[in-house]
This record gives sequence, C-alpha cells and structure tokens, in this order.
Amino acid sequence: MTILKLLQLSSSALPLGAYSYSEGLETAIEQDQIRGKEDLRQWLSDELSYGAIRLETALMLRGYRCWATQDLDSLSYWNQWASAVKETSELREQSWQMGNTLTRLLLSLETVRRESNQGSWDLEQGINLMGKPCNYAIAFGMGAAHWQIDEHSAVLGYLHSWATNLMNAGVKLIPISQTLGQQLLLQLHPEMESATTTILNLRDDELYTCSWGLGLAGMQHEIQYTRLFRS
Amino acid sequence: MLKTSTPMTSPWQGVLKLIYQRRDDTTQPIQSYSKAPYKLQHPFYPQGGDICYSTILHTAGGIVGGDQLYQSIQLQPHTHAVITTASASKIYRNNGSTAYQKTDIEVQENACLEYLPREMIVFEGAQYNQQLRVNLAPTATWLGWEIVRFGRSARGEQFLQGDWRSRTEVWQDGRLIWVDCPWLPGGKEVWENPHGLAGCPLVGTLVWLGKPVSSELIAQIRKLWHQMETTGEAGTTKLMSGLLCRYRGNSYREVINWFTNIWRLLRQWDGKATPVTPRVWQV
Repeated sequence: MTILKLLQLSSSALPLGAYSYSEGLETAIEQDQIRGKEDLRQWLSDELSYGAIRLETALMLRGYRCWATQDLDSLSYWNQWASAVKETSELREQSWQMGNTLTRLLLSLETVRRESNQGSWDLEQGINLMGKPCNYAIAFGMGAAHWQIDEHSAVLGYLHSWATNLMNAGVKLIPISQTLGQQLLLQLHPEMESATTTILNLRDDELYTCSWGLGLAGMQHEIQYTRLFRS
Repeated sequence: MLKTSTPMTSPWQGVLKLIYQRRDDTTQPIQSYSKAPYKLQHPFYPQGGDICYSTILHTAGGIVGGDQLYQSIQLQPHTHAVITTASASKIYRNNGSTAYQKTDIEVQENACLEYLPREMIVFEGAQYNQQLRVNLAPTATWLGWEIVRFGRSARGEQFLQGDWRSRTEVWQDGRLIWVDCPWLPGGKEVWENPHGLAGCPLVGTLVWLGKPVSSELIAQIRKLWHQMETTGEAGTTKLMSGLLCRYRGNSYREVINWFTNIWRLLRQWDGKATPVTPRVWQV
C-alpha cells in the first residue's frame, strides 16, 4: 500500500501547478547555456550532486523527521529556514504556492484516508500550529511522514518528482523529443540514488549549496522579456 | 615540563571585538579589542561624527589551515559604522586542516552597519569555513558584501582542489530572514559548468537587510548594472526583508564599481550622506 501512496504523492498529476515552474531553466536555455539533452542532463546532475535540490530535499527530510517525532517547534524552525534560504523571490513564491496548495490537498484527502484509518496525530492541528506560508519541501515531508512512507522512499520520490518536472520543462523549452526526455530521466537514476544516500546522512552543519548558475539564471528570469514559466 | 618550540606554521587564534555607542552625537567605538593577527586602524570620520569608518588589518598576510578567527561586532542604538579591510584577504592552500572564521554581529535599534571587506582570494587547495550570524533589531539595517576570487587567476590558477564554505544566518526580531550557504567544492565540473562557475574565477554577493524594499529600488539597482559596460553576469532579487545581488565574472573592477554604486543608491534611498570610498581601496 505504501508504494501506491508514494506514487500518488510524487506524481506529476498532483494538482500543485509544478508544471508552471522551470527553476531557472527557461533563462539558462534562452541564454544558450543549455542547448540540448546532454547539457540538461549535466545541469540536473550538478543539481543532484551539489545544488539547490540537494538542499531542498534535505529540508524535506527535516520536515519528515519533525512530523514523525511530533516536534512542531523544529518543524516551524525548518519551515522558516526553507523560506530564508531561497535564492530568488520567484523560487520563494513557487515554494510557498506549492506548499500551501499541498497542505490544503492533504487536508482534503484526510476524510478518505481516515476511513482506512491509521492512528497518527491530527494533520489539521499540526498545519495550523505551524502557520503559513508552508514551503513545498516541508509540506511534502509532512505528507510523506503522515502517510507513513519510509524516509528513503520519500527522498527518492521527491527527487523523482523534481527531475520529471524539469525534464518536462526542458522538453518544451529546448525543445527535445519526449523520448529523449524519458532517456534523460532514466540516465539520472544512478545519480538520484547516490544523492539519496548522501542526503539521508547530511548533518545540519553540512547544509550547503553550490549553484551560482542557478541563482543567476533565477534572478535574470525575473526580467526575461518573454517567458512561459513562473520561475 | 618539556619546552616545545612553536612551529613556523602555528595557527592563529585571532579575536576582534568592536562595540560602537552614540556619544555626543557621534558614533564612537567604546570597545575595540584585537588579538593578532587582527589589528584595527584608528577610526576616521570623513563625513562628520554620525558615521564612523573602521578598517581591519590582517597582519599575518593570509589565513592558513588550522587558523580560528573570531569577530564580534555590536552597534548600539542610533550608531552608524562602515567596516572594511585594508587589503585583500588570502586563504592559503593548506596542510589538510580547515581554517575557520566566525563572526557575530548585533545591530540595535535605529543603527546601521555597512560591512564591506575587500576581495577574498582563495588559493587552490585551501580548505575554509566561515560562519556569520547577524541579529538585527526591528529598526536596524545591515549592508554586507563579499567578493571571492577562486584561485590566483592572475597566474592562471583554477580551483580544482580544496573546499570553501560560507554560512550566513540573519535574524530580525527573533525571525530568521535570510540564510545563505554557498559552497565551492574544488573540481573541474563545478569550475567549468554553467551551473557552477562557468569558468569565472570571481563571484560577488551583496545583501541589504532590515526593511522591506520596493520593486522600484530593485529596478534602479538593475539599471545601475545595465548602464555599465560589463563582461560578467549579474542578478538582483527581493528578499523577505531586503534585497540580494549576485555577480559572476572576471573583473574585480566591474563588481566593486557596481556594488559601490548600489551602496551610494542605498544611502540616498535612506536619506543619508553619500558614502566616501575608503582610502585603503585606492589601488
């Protein structure tokens, strides 16, 4: 049953509007920094090895662990941290919009879930106590813990959902064929697995990101003349 | 007891403590303590008593593995200080141990700190970790910048080995308003790929925090960049309570000019005197 919950939570069909964000790719592609499938694979691979997604996923995991141990003070602290560390205002808006939407969705799924009942603590109360805005990584971590998905799977699911979304953005923007996009995703599997092992073991004092290119692309996206995406 | 001679490379444990207070309508350092390799020059007042300019010297020439440096800076209510460094700071290649620098800054009610050091040059093979924590009162502001050169690029050195990390946390009134945690793991991919440095040895960050900023101010800062002839890349964005600018390129002159122009603009925006460029910056 857990695998089904994982598939649902990390599915691109989850109505969070993820497809409207490119996380700087639209600018990097416009500026010819990414010209084809191989460049896109390299960019996503750099993200997994040292970049912002590595940090975001580590924050997701902190959300997960705080929820699992019912430590609301720490949950709120990491949610503040997640807001404060965003590189650009568009990335912050993206995280808040998707996070708030996801918490609402999780709440409206509670009625269905309660019928199949597991006795974990009250989601509504927890979300209210943490307050708004809720970052997407934190909301995902809470959701995964609340749905009793194990943390290793939650990390893989989060990374897969991110990679699928940016692969789709690349398919539209570069453009490349859907088949090349799927090949790229499959090629990233070993890197997603090794990033998962790293992220599961990162200490709080090891949270760093090497992503100057992403930050600059994200900032320049805010003044890009024509654009399809919101980040 | 055995006498041990100190090796030439013995690490430093430098300390710097600065406290500013408003006295007789003047911002005065009421405590300025320094322990080698830090040294403080006499404060100067190129713009009258309101704004105190202080310059930090690093007398050892550079930072080596094992060094532990600590700075503590406090601005009491209604003070305004500019702090800079006399020369570029150098982080040498080291022997396997990391050099640490930790800084605590507290800016109290209606006080303003402008912390504007010169360039940091990180030699290939250096291992460096710095931590900065800033506490701002609700009416306080802090302007900070950092310009980092990876490798002695004048002699063609890149940063293919070594590890550089920096962590900044800024709190205002008990709320975390900005975290920055840039990292450069030495390596060919990070050096060359557009996601990392894109072959550029120089990166710059300017941050202004303490109050919400308007879109108009952001637009003016972007305009300052576009008015210059440039070869590097730059970006500006709004933070929850302030703004952030980044640079990546090859030209110290272009990044310091842009940052200095932003500094002037922010002073003007705040209704304060146009800043005087510290003499030590003249090269």
